[in-house]
Amino acid sequence: MNKAFEKIALIEGMIAAAFVSEEGKLSGSCANSVISSENLCFIAETCRVILSANRAEQRPAHTGVVAFGNRTLVFREGAAGLFMAYLDSPTNDAVLKWLFDQVNPLLEAEGVKLE
Amino acid sequence: MLHQALILTSHREYAQAMRQGLLKLGDEHTRVDVELDALRAMQLAPQQYELILLDRVLDAMDGLQLLQLIKHQTPTSKFIIVSDSVDEASRAGAYQNGADFFLERPSTPKAFALALEAIKGLFKPSRVDEPPQDEGDGPVVGIADIVQMRCLSGDSVLLLVRSHYQSGDIFIFRGEVFHAQYPGKSGEAAFRDMIHWDGGLVRIKAIKLTQTPPRTIEIPYRQLLETVEKPGARGPDISPTGGELYVVSGETPPGSAALSVVREAPPREDVAPPFFPTPGLLTGGETALPRVNSHWKVNLTGELLEGSQVAEPDRCAFITTFIYRKLADVAVALEVDYFSHMTLLGPHLQQVLVADNMGVRHAVFDTAWTTEELRVQYVKWCCEQSF
Repeated sequence: MNKAFEKIALIEGMIAAAFVSEEGKLSGSCANSVISSENLCFIAETCRVILSANRAEQRPAHTGVVAFGNRTLVFREGAAGLFMAYLDSPTNDAVLKWLFDQVNPLLEAEGVKLE
Repeated sequence: MLHQALILTSHREYAQAMRQGLLKLGDEHTRVDVELDALRAMQLAPQQYELILLDRVLDAMDGLQLLQLIKHQTPTSKFIIVSDSVDEASRAGAYQNGADFFLERPSTPKAFALALEAIKGLFKPSRVDEPPQDEGDGPVVGIADIVQMRCLSGDSVLLLVRSHYQSGDIFIFRGEVFHAQYPGKSGEAAFRDMIHWDGGLVRIKAIKLTQTPPRTIEIPYRQLLETVEKPGARGPDISPTGGELYVVSGETPPGSAALSVVREAPPREDVAPPFFPTPGLLTGGETALPRVNSHWKVNLTGELLEGSQVAEPDRCAFITTFIYRKLADVAVALEVDYFSHMTLLGPHLQQVLVADNMGVRHAVFDTAWTTEELRVQYVKWCCEQSF
């Protein structure tokens, strides 16, 4: 997973990214800023709780996009776990597609399918 | 020793210096959060902090008012009021409102050192081990026993679990464990960890639940308890300090509840909430409200203020507030301002939440006909409305 995240770190605007397995284990991460792995884990777990709460409300969601000013937290849950990326830019659907067009092949090479 | 603290101030430099000082009072696991926005601080779960330092005067509100509010939610935490003026009236006001200590804002290294010494004194073992005087001790029991007892009784309660090192929540609804969480973990994994919290002293406070909590634990409670090892069975090596577990308090009436999940549900059938205008019509702003399945808004305390096509107002208000609070935690972890909007994309539904300092609006769209343009239009519409 480290190889994938070495490349994910190079994606334009990427501040941090992480993949947390179903068991809550940080399988891979990268951070171009001072964000500790504990915090990445905590944030990913919180995202997972939000998705889980929505499932319980019969409104299942697989992807979340949260705008913090001009920065954006993107997360997507798959069968194997949750991927999240913290970007230094606002996003729209095109940016989201652009992001996952790059991330998905890298994760799939590690045996992780998000779709 | 200090484990988790919150500094609530509008003075950034002081906050950073105090944070560094407080970190030295703990160990490598100690966490000190800084919050510069009082309104956002109200969204945090204060029970997780054993120490809260807040300014006497905050940007958005009176620090003493906030002290009263938070103290009500977490009576066992220590509170320090930090003030730029040291007159007796300020000091008396702080203590009258429940502060454990009144501190003149330190500005020199020597003053910081003295302040930290004073704060350290608040956490001497003789004081920290005293259970809250107004709550009294309960029988010596383990968390698993309490969970089993509550489930057997078919209760709906939120158990606030607090050890020396951390704190967390276990949600039991109609006799089943629905959800468990503590900073960094949730669901079954969190429950399994919490069952083994035995840092010498674990306190449990039960609060009656009036609304369905989110469900992250699907297996029946019996199976859940069977698969976890009870703390008492772990042997003395696991509990070097004796592993004493006890319940501090009994059930707290909903009126004094800590979280919005226990607030009284808004009226459902007898008094309908005020409605938004019909989707598609102009509503005073420049932007038309786009077509939505349903939408609503809640204020900072989780109260549903308005809604349209809201089938279950209390559940809607709950989930919105839940997400709002969770994202407040994320904002603190990222050291950024509060989120402005969030989009959740699902196979059948899409949701948009738009937040400001006064509350959050929440809309649900059908994925089949929703476009990005519609979601953007909703965000724009929300920004034009006033909370």
